[in-house]
Formats: sequence, C-alpha cells, structure tokens
Amino acid sequence: MRRPTPAVCLALAAFALTAVAGLAAANPAHDPVERGRQLYGASCAGCHGQSGEGFMTSPSLRGVGAASADFQLSTGRMPLSAPDARPHPREPAFDHQDIAALTAFVASLGGGPQVPAVGPGDPRKGRTLYLASCASCHSASGVGAALPGGGAAPSLLNTKPTQVAEAVRLGPGAMPAFDTKTLTEAEVNSIIAYIGTVRDEFRHGGAAIGGAGPVPEGLVAWVIGLGVLILVILFLGRRAS
Amino acid sequence: MIARWVRRKLEEKLRVSRWGLRKLDERLRIASVVREAVAKVFPDHWSFMLGEIALYAFVSLLLTGTFLAFFFDPSSGERIYAGDYAGLHNSRVSAAYASAVELSFDVRGGLLVRQTHHWAALIFVAAIVTHMLRNFFTGAFRRPRELNWIIGVTLLVLAIANGFAGYSLPDDLLSGTGLRIANSIALSMPIVGTWAAFLLFGGEFPGESIIPRLYILHVLLLPGLIAALIGAHMGILIRQKHTHFAGPGRNDHNVVGSKMWPTYAFRSFALLSALFAVTFALGGLVQINPVWLWGPFDPGTASAPAQPDWFMGWLEGALRLYPPIEFTVFGYLVPAPFVPGVLLPGLTFAIMYVWPWLDRLITKDRAAHHLLDRPRHSPARMAVGVWALSFYGLLLLAGSDDVLADLMGLPVLTVMKTMRIVVIVVPFLFAAAAYALARALRANPEQRLSGLRWKQIRKSDVVEEETRHGGS
Repeated sequence: MRRPTPAVCLALAAFALTAVAGLAAANPAHDPVERGRQLYGASCAGCHGQSGEGFMTSPSLRGVGAASADFQLSTGRMPLSAPDARPHPREPAFDHQDIAALTAFVASLGGGPQVPAVGPGDPRKGRTLYLASCASCHSASGVGAALPGGGAAPSLLNTKPTQVAEAVRLGPGAMPAFDTKTLTEAEVNSIIAYIGTVRDEFRHGGAAIGGAGPVPEGLVAWVIGLGVLILVILFLGRRAS
Repeated sequence: MIARWVRRKLEEKLRVSRWGLRKLDERLRIASVVREAVAKVFPDHWSFMLGEIALYAFVSLLLTGTFLAFFFDPSSGERIYAGDYAGLHNSRVSAAYASAVELSFDVRGGLLVRQTHHWAALIFVAAIVTHMLRNFFTGAFRRPRELNWIIGVTLLVLAIANGFAGYSLPDDLLSGTGLRIANSIALSMPIVGTWAAFLLFGGEFPGESIIPRLYILHVLLLPGLIAALIGAHMGILIRQKHTHFAGPGRNDHNVVGSKMWPTYAFRSFALLSALFAVTFALGGLVQINPVWLWGPFDPGTASAPAQPDWFMGWLEGALRLYPPIEFTVFGYLVPAPFVPGVLLPGLTFAIMYVWPWLDRLITKDRAAHHLLDRPRHSPARMAVGVWALSFYGLLLLAGSDDVLADLMGLPVLTVMKTMRIVVIVVPFLFAAAAYALARALRANPEQRLSGLRWKQIRKSDVVEEETRHGGS
C-alpha cells in the first residue's frame, strides 16, 4: 500500500477545514450571538424592535445587559404570555442553550451588567441579611407575600442562585436594586446560601401548609383539629343514644 | 387443691385490703363522695362533650408543656447556638431563641412535643369558644348557672392570655413583632399608658425582663388559675347537675343520660384518647410555628405576612382596620390603638360577663332553668349571637388581609378598605337573617333549617300572632 503524497494530505486537510468552517456557518449554534439574533427576530423583535430599540411600552434592550436578559428569560418572565400581561415567573419558554444565545445577543447590543457569578456563602450571615433586607416582602419562609400597592413578591423557593443574584442587582418589578455598596458580592452569596438552608428545612417538622404562619395554622386547628374531635363526639353521642 | 389454696389466699388478701380501705375511709370519709360521683348522670347529647375537649386539651398542654420546660431556657441573655441547624449554627442569640431552635432540631422528640403543644393550644381555645357558643345559643347560662358562665368567660380570657404568653416565649421575629404591638397597645392607654408599659416590660421595649416574666405567667400563674377555675367549673357543674335538652321523660328536676361509671367514664376516656391522637398526629405531620424560619427577634426587622395565633387574630384585624384617628378627652390624647386594642376587647369581655343579665332584659325571663332552649327559642338571642360570631369572624379575616390579598390577587389596601365596610355592615345583615329564620323555625317547631320554606319565613310573624291569641 502506497503512502499518500504530501499534496494529497494538504488537499484533504484543506477540504476538512472548509467543511468545518462551512458547518459552523450553516449551524449558528456555534455562534451564540448569531443564534440569538435569529431567536430574537422570531420571538422578541415584535415588541422590542428589530435591533432592540424598543417600541411603545416595550423598553429598549440596548444597554440592559446580559444579567437582565438572563433573569427575564430564565425565570420565564419573558416572553410575555400575552402582549398586555404583567411579567410573572413561570416555566421558561427557551432551553438553557437558547437562553444563553439570546443573552449573548442582548449583551452584544451594548452595555449593562454581566451575568453575576455566585460563589459559596455563609448561611448564618445570610440569615441576618435575609431577614433584614428580603423577608419584609418575600416572607421569612421565602414563599413570597402580598405587596401593599398590589401584586406580590414572588416565592424564592424555586429560584436558581444566579437568578437571585441578578434580581438583587437589577431590582426587577417593584423590587429595589441593591448595589455592591449596600450588599457586597460575598453578602449576596450568603443570602443565596441561606435561601438554600430555608429550602432544605422548609418541611422540617411536617407539611409546611403554605409557609405563611398562623393563618393556615388556625385554619388547620379549627377544621382538622377541632373538626375531627367533633366528629368523634358526634360518634360517641350516637353510640350512647 | 391448689385452686382452693389460691382462692383462700386471695380471699385473705381481699379481706386485708378491704380492712385497709375501711380504715382509710373511716379517716377520709371518701366512700360516700365517690359513690355519689360514680352515680352522676351525664347527658348523652354530643354537644355536652365540647367542654371536655377543652379539658383534655388542657391535660395534653400540661403534659407536653412539662416536657418542654425541661429543655427551654426562658432568658434574654445571649449565648451561642451550637446545634444542627445550619442557618443558626454558632450564632449568638438569646438563650430563649437558642433553646427553642434546639427543641426543634437537637432534642430528641423535641419538635414533635413542641408542635403538639402548639396544636393543642389552638384546639384548646377553639374548643372553649365552641363550648361557649353551645351554652349561649341554648341558654345554659340562665339562672342558676350564671356563676359558671362567669367562670367560663374568665377561663376563655385566661386561655387567650396564656396562649399569647406561650407563643411569645421563643423570642422569634414573628412573636417579637406581636410583643411590640402589645407594648404599643399598653402605651396607648391615656394617662396610665407609659406606666403600664414600663411596669409590664420592666423598662423600654424590648428590655430583658419580658421573656422571664411571660414564662412565669405561662407555666405557673395562668395555668394554676386555669386549673383552679376548671376545678370550680366542674365542682359547680356536679353540685348543680347538668342541663339537658327537652324530650320525653325529661324535666327540670332530672337528668337523662349515662352514669359516670362505667358508661360515661369509658366514653370520656375514648375522647381523651382521640384528643391525644389528633394533637400528636398534627404535631408529627403538620409543621406549626417554624421559629427557625422566623429568625431571632431584632427590633429593627419585620417579616411579612405577620399574624398572631387565631385567638388573637380578631384583635389584629381590629388594629389593622381602625383608621389612624387620634382625639383628646378632657385634654388627654387618646392614640389610635386604644379603641381597637383596649376598648374593643374590654367591651367585648364586659358584655360577655354580664350576658346572663342582659339576656333577662331581652327575654323577660328571670326563672331558673334546667332544661335547655332550642336555639330558635329566642330569635333576639340568636340575632345577637350571629352578629357577634360574624363580627369577630370577619375581624379575624381582616387580620389576615395581606394573605387574602395575595390569594385573590388584589392590592392589600383595597382589601383593607373593603373589610372596613364589610365588618360594619355584614354582621347586621346576618343578624337580621338569623332573626327571621329563628322566628320562622320557632313558629314551625317540627321544621329543620334545611327544610324551611320561603313562605314560612315570610308568614312566621302572622303564625306567631295566631298562636299567641290561641294561647291567651
């Protein structure tokens, strides 16, 4: 068997290279921004404009940055369920890769904060910070609570660490934004670690009945507690007579 | 042979123990009392066991509370929590909070008993209220039982107070918010407010005294009083004999039902067992007051939603609904919390105390009664009862206005402003409806509420006129 001549090798290598390059061009997944541009055109441009310039009530996406795009998309707030709906957390419309692509595209429009990195934190410090800065809206048990002017602070129990960090910095909806002077990166990490602890111990001691404290507890005491005992005395009374 | 020997030995033993019992009775003279007690007749109707639910809940509270007292440290002094809970591990918190979390994570069986104790407390007050409603609507408070009604109202007040004291002990953020409200209510009293608040808290809020003071109230003074009054309540009940519902062979001088021994004792024991089953099942399966999530009390923070236990919820509702109006009386300022926080509960319990005499004014009936009324017997009493039930029930609902707003997707302020009107208007509508229904049912004694026709409600005043004429 003859060995291939160098010329043939070169030709093969050149072919392989062009093939790979061609594939990359044909499959935009390899270029997140390009893939993001396509998805954006199909799902977002209708409201936010062809190049993210915004339209009527839809805000411009120029300068909002990767963190905002990742938060809105990964929590399912965007795209909206209906054009005039309020953004609310739900199952995300895109998978992990597509969210990354859309985020990269929005980031390419220029400016804005990057997706924050979350590291390990100290749940004890997080407890103090959480109860001081978060619990008055999101409730001590993290299930969320009503806001005075309408709407509600959402539950934190099903959030991902990055989403919490993004929300802290961005202040979506009625939430205030906390800058790094108010809450350092380490402090945000600790709050996220504490939310993890709350999630772990949420059902400690039995069914958590909503995590809303004495209101559901009173209901259970009357309906199940006293309710069952009244059934018992009804039974005992019937047996007697 | 052996059998005979065994029998002889047994008879000997029996003779000896009989002799011992006789000697004992010669000194204590207890046999006649016991004989009388075991022959006491209890009515069979189920509603006579409502008070017994409260009694056995109290027993459950004493037993579980004793266990908790072995581990709970009622001190505001700070120490390090060194237990298993990651959110508090190695943190410096009050000994009261640290030991409450230790009871929930580190003491074997601690959380089960803590939760059972709390569920039993909620059921205790609920059973007292239900028992009281039965006595109210059937006129059981009438002569000669006014005294037991007064003791019953006192027991309700003490049970609520003890519930509040116990709930406040763990020094957590949620109950600390409640204590701050209690402090503000005390401060709102004209003239004496500041003195009262400083006396109660031993200085400025929160101070170091309130937790140990609440503890001694919770484990000694209030339960001691409750136990003594339960004794008096039941002593009077035995002395006066039970009431019972009217029926064939039943009159003001007898009681139809089951004897204490053996019938009623077994039924009562079944209820005791059921109560322990229910409270321990709830304690083991349903979380209550997760103090580790509420966090330690810090005067600078508050969480939402924040409610007290249900038996304080009507006060919370009144405080939430009452507008921020301040006025002056004889030159003294009356701050806004005074009306809903002091005047309303004061009037509420005052009216409950004098109800047996108010009822005489309404029904013009001063006679002694041992047979119970049917609830329909006095439409006026029915109207008052339904008004009170719906008024305090709606206040309780208003106390959870933020939870309601969350559930209904409405702004909290909208719910609050709506409830201000609802709480005033709806109880009167309910009372009017109850009055009409009770009158129609009284005119048709055989009819049940579910079978009542619209015609009967409309014509009940006519029928009543006729029966009155026919009777005279």
